[in-house]
Amino acid sequence: MDFLGNLALGFSVALTPFNILMAVCGVTVGILIGALPGIGPPSGVAMLLPLTFGMDPTSGIIMLAALYAGTMYGGTITAVLINTPGESASVVTCLDGYQMALKGEAGKALGIAAIGSFIAGTVGVVLLMLVSPALAKWSLSFGPPETFALMLLGLTTVTLLAGDDPLKGYISMMVGLMLAMVGYDIISGDARYGLGVPEMMDGIDFLPVAIGLFGLGEVLVGAEESSKAQMVKGKLGIREVLPRWADIIRTKWAIFRGTVMGFAVGVLPGAGPTVASFLAYTVEKKVSDHPEKFGKGAIEGVAAPESANNAAATAAMVPMLTLGIPGSATTAIMLGGLMMWGLRPGPMLFEKNPQFVWGLIASQYIANVLLLVMSTLAIPLFVRALRIPYSILMPLIIVFCVTGAYSLKNSLFDVGSMLVFGVVGYLMKKLGYSPAALVLALVLGPLAERALRQSLIISDSGLGILFLRPISAVLTVAALLAVAVPVVRALLASSRRRAPAGN
Amino acid sequence: MRNTDRITAALLLACAVAFSAAALKYYKWWGADGPGPAFMPFWLGLVMAALALMMLVRSLREKYTGDAWLPRGEGLRHMLVVLGASAAFVALLKVTGMIFGTALFLAGLLRYLGRHRWQVCAAVALGAAGFNWLVFARWLRVPLPEGMLWIF
Repeated sequence: MDFLGNLALGFSVALTPFNILMAVCGVTVGILIGALPGIGPPSGVAMLLPLTFGMDPTSGIIMLAALYAGTMYGGTITAVLINTPGESASVVTCLDGYQMALKGEAGKALGIAAIGSFIAGTVGVVLLMLVSPALAKWSLSFGPPETFALMLLGLTTVTLLAGDDPLKGYISMMVGLMLAMVGYDIISGDARYGLGVPEMMDGIDFLPVAIGLFGLGEVLVGAEESSKAQMVKGKLGIREVLPRWADIIRTKWAIFRGTVMGFAVGVLPGAGPTVASFLAYTVEKKVSDHPEKFGKGAIEGVAAPESANNAAATAAMVPMLTLGIPGSATTAIMLGGLMMWGLRPGPMLFEKNPQFVWGLIASQYIANVLLLVMSTLAIPLFVRALRIPYSILMPLIIVFCVTGAYSLKNSLFDVGSMLVFGVVGYLMKKLGYSPAALVLALVLGPLAERALRQSLIISDSGLGILFLRPISAVLTVAALLAVAVPVVRALLASSRRRAPAGN
Repeated sequence: MRNTDRITAALLLACAVAFSAAALKYYKWWGADGPGPAFMPFWLGLVMAALALMMLVRSLREKYTGDAWLPRGEGLRHMLVVLGASAAFVALLKVTGMIFGTALFLAGLLRYLGRHRWQVCAAVALGAAGFNWLVFARWLRVPLPEGMLWIF
């Protein structure tokens, strides 16, 4: 009963005209940001976060969460029509989506992605609603060792994001953790690594860093490539985009599997929608009766990953809301937003700010409906936006990066650090490092340090405390496995490569 | 990638060692009842040093395949123009002010890099500057840098 009461509270918050308007804005801007190559969900959320400071935190999070959901679908449009992922969670959609577009089935691909996103997003919210309160209650019993072990797991699974070079993923993460050490020590109050710069005494704010790495960094990469995108021509009226029953029936299991896997991956701290979409595609190909059709325009190859990334985007909010640990780079930035609004993410959020949490949950239902409506009715509009030349878009993104970084704290120092991290982001991208791992580590760093030091204070056996308590032991072992697996795999691969050469 | 990785690894190694050393030198290792401010940075530096060493060893073993990541020609020029324009935009914010600076930056970059017609440049520049003013200065009341040349 309590549960329904909470949901009713949520809808009473989410259904106010202003909050509906915020959801509409969020979804629209989200689809645009997702569709435009060069800016993805993390930079979108980072750039729009300053806009929310003038409003109630609940309205702010409603807009950002709707935006996150929107980007997941927006990326699909670009993937299908231009064969370029609009954001990283749509990389696999290119494989079959673009092939479908070449066969004149662009509308069908976008339609099934829309319906898959809707189903996955809605199921994701239901699961979010069921899982989160229980998890929050359970995590109230967490002490510092459990918290630290959980963060360790979050940090080590981040490297799953890093792609084919786990070493560079870990290095990116360590850079983030080291940057997180700058500023006042939370326990003793000593100033660390300030280098005599007063602005650095408060620590390195992760928002200018995120805006620089994801926003400006991506723009610089794009400026260098500045390739002319070729859009597949095809009719994209409402009739083409509206999914047919036959297609939905055909892909129902793909959507179902994508949703379940997406949610499971998304809940893990660290691994987000991108990992989920890759996993869903791989599994779908494995279980398919006709795996040879994948990569040549199989509709399941669009339905599964698109469902997975939407489910994962919703699921990534579970650890953010209940444990205060972000499930993806984008939720890491939202988490920063929560702290700036003066809310303390974590288990107490559900008890202390029910209208915030439940308003957010309820608004996600609304956002999913809006997403379905817009992705079928307004698609020609978004396609037209893709025709805006990159040479116009790019300077506009930079202007937003600068204004956004400035208005966080009205500080020109932040603008400068955004610029520096823009260059860093460009280099990281070119050299195969992971900006997402850096940002996540920068956010988690201070929390992890406090948890570790508190654990050591209460412990009689040093780090052994992590293994002596059941929950933290399981989490720590999982974290160690997450480190070990890619290392072992890399060693195996290199020994296999060297063996023939040695003969 | 070999050369780049080598240089990066060496730099990271040096930074990591300095980071750990600075932690031990300047901050307390152990506080009243537990680890002090030097504890975490010291270990982080150590782990980073180990990772950097691994990358250094790996890059020394790898075959040289050329540093293909370096931008060349047109791409390099575009990237540098965008970066230079952004740096100038930021550096001159105190002189131009946010709103006027935005318009100037947009118009300049659109005209020079995009080679758009000046009507397009002016429309985008004025539109974006107006949006910034409306949303940030009016609605959110952010005290944007005002500049010397312009009242905004």
